Amino acid sequence: MAVAERLRRTMMFVPGNNPAMIKDAGIFEADSIMFDLEDAVSLAEKDAARVLVYEAVKNIDFGGAELVVRINGLDTPFWQKDVRAMVKAGIEVIRAPKVETAAMMEELEVEIEKAEKEFGIEVGTTHVMAALESALGVMNALEIARSCPERMMGIALSGMDYRVDMKTKSYPDEGELYFARNMVLHAARAAGVAAFDTVFGNVDDEEGFVKGVELIHQLGFDGKSVINPRQIPLVNKVYAPTKKEVVHAQQVMEAIEEAKQKGSGVISLNGQMVDRPIVLQAERVLMLAKAANVLDEGGNYIEK
Amino acid sequence: MEIKQHALAGTLESSDVQIMIAPANNGISIDLISDVKKQFGKQIEATVRQVLAAYAIENADVQVIDKGALDLVIKARAIAAVERAIEAKDLNWEVL
Amino acid sequence: MEKVEDLFLKMLIHRKEWDKFLTGLHLNVSNSSEIETIDETVAIFAKNGEVLATGSIAGNVIKYVATCTKGEQSAGERFNKIITELMNRLAQKGIYHVFVFTKPMYAKSFGYLGFKELARAEQGVLLEKGRPNITDFLSSLTEKKLVPAGAKKIAAVVMNANPFTLGHCYLVEQAAAENDFVYVFVVSTDRSLFRADERLDLVKKGLSALTNVSVVSGGDYLVSFATFPAYFIQSDEEVMDFQTQIDARIFKNWFVEALGITARYLGAEPFSKTTSIYNQQLTEVLSDVIDVKIIERKKADDNEEIISATAVRAAIATNQLEKIRNFVPETTFEFIEQHLQELQARIKGGQKTNGN
Repeated sequence: MAVAERLRRTMMFVPGNNPAMIKDAGIFEADSIMFDLEDAVSLAEKDAARVLVYEAVKNIDFGGAELVVRINGLDTPFWQKDVRAMVKAGIEVIRAPKVETAAMMEELEVEIEKAEKEFGIEVGTTHVMAALESALGVMNALEIARSCPERMMGIALSGMDYRVDMKTKSYPDEGELYFARNMVLHAARAAGVAAFDTVFGNVDDEEGFVKGVELIHQLGFDGKSVINPRQIPLVNKVYAPTKKEVVHAQQVMEAIEEAKQKGSGVISLNGQMVDRPIVLQAERVLMLAKAANVLDEGGNYIEK
Repeated sequence: MEIKQHALAGTLESSDVQIMIAPANNGISIDLISDVKKQFGKQIEATVRQVLAAYAIENADVQVIDKGALDLVIKARAIAAVERAIEAKDLNWEVL
Repeated sequence: MEKVEDLFLKMLIHRKEWDKFLTGLHLNVSNSSEIETIDETVAIFAKNGEVLATGSIAGNVIKYVATCTKGEQSAGERFNKIITELMNRLAQKGIYHVFVFTKPMYAKSFGYLGFKELARAEQGVLLEKGRPNITDFLSSLTEKKLVPAGAKKIAAVVMNANPFTLGHCYLVEQAAAENDFVYVFVVSTDRSLFRADERLDLVKKGLSALTNVSVVSGGDYLVSFATFPAYFIQSDEEVMDFQTQIDARIFKNWFVEALGITARYLGAEPFSKTTSIYNQQLTEVLSDVIDVKIIERKKADDNEEIISATAVRAAIATNQLEKIRNFVPETTFEFIEQHLQELQARIKGGQKTNGN
């Protein structure tokens, strides 16, 4: 994957025309902050929101969060200005909504490159992600995930419009997302990019929310979109590795260290060869463990 | 640049600022309502004037209702209001 | 986060919730003619469909604003959201000068949002925001330098003139004779048989012989007080009281000083109870700062009939122009003759001819 791995457990949606929420976005410790210029902003305010997010991204320190912007759809008159402003602002990831084909992402990439050149930014700096919100988008998930290979950070399932396209609605157990979730996840894994699950709209149903997070965590999703800061600690808890996982990851790291010291090209643990996916997994577990504050200074699991 | 028409940008919600611009013919006048007018009034006005200057606007009647907005919010809303008032076809990328 | 949404008064389910909400806050929802003027309504709805806050626009007037604090995250935020949305919608229509009629207890809240108070009565207040405002309006009059230098006694007459009659003429002639200069303000509300521009024109033509008189439009400020919203007042008497008080105070608080007015001339009104109450209230409010003169109605030359615009309109409706030929100056009569068909069409189309 061209775009580096990092923690992406939570992507917090922040309405692009709301200064109160924008200025506080950094304090909730979401792994990613997604400024929304699309559905959260009314038609009459698209221009104002664009400038506001621009100023915010340029001037506010959002801590270590990855900064993402959801631009308007490629079928609107707004998206190109969105791209220019956001590239100029130095946004890290541009999220395109309602993506249905690889061609759409390529069209986006052309515009991004144009903007990078215009504003003297190294071409390739700005990453992208694709939101799949329809049956066609989901079916084309693999080609979309493979598009823009130098910039593609991940793909996401965006449930609201997807459900409308599928002629269904939102149910508490989210069973209507069964296929789409798996399709999106598999496409992401096959293409080597991140996979994100959709927003859980009912902020009052904490139990339902956690159940959903447990499921997508089990399946292997990188993270979840959240619309309420209260949801962030709940997601992080689910994503916190167990002691067993941490200990195993430490063993892998020890095996790597030993192989290095021996000058051996092959890493082995418990008599088995340790190949790259295992190493990546170990790194991931330790990254999650550190973020979940379950490691002490020596890198050891803290017993509760 | 001339202000061709009235324009409004921003909201009256907490941490935001609402800026209303109208055409004028005798310089720039700014009417500010803010809980922190004493401490930050000058600064708020200066931010608005800076934006007007960036667009080379010499005549404007501006009403600013500040609800505790950060400087960057005031700048953003001022830019949005001016862009609307001059009926710009595209953002002035120099000003941003 | 609470969102402001459209509320459609034509949708039964929305209308019911709206009625319930406003009635619960002691606001009056029974005035159907006032509700008919509403162009748009917005509201914040609770999950169960109940209204938590609302506001409406009628032309450039914001009204029916009400909020509650049930379950509110922070007090006052709903109010700010509603007003923001209303102002944005008005801006989209190109309306940047806005009026608000509301209860005195909300005046401060509107003040924080940049609205300036124009007039206050016991039952309610009138505020405005944006430009051009009343100061701009009055400046535009003084800039015209209509008043000759040295004029000390400056009178004002406010008339609807629907249409301009010899009775109106007589009133102005009295004022012109007794003062250095007279402002004649023609009410600009377009609810009358004769349109605002037509009325203004006929007044100008009818008074062209008087050299110390200037005829101007009342703009947004001298309007038919009967159109003032009063949805926040329960009893009809109080409504009329409120409307006339605000009308009188706009004149007193702003026009008198800016234009140097020293007298106001009113026509006595034997037939209209509304107008006599209005005259009485006006006198009460203004007489401590200017002279208020009530002039008896002029009678038509050859008979004892009192000249009234109402009679003129009735004659148009019943096609009996000869009856009122000596009620109006030539200029008005000519206009009526030339536009008779159209005027009658307006009447047939539902334009009322009684009232003012």
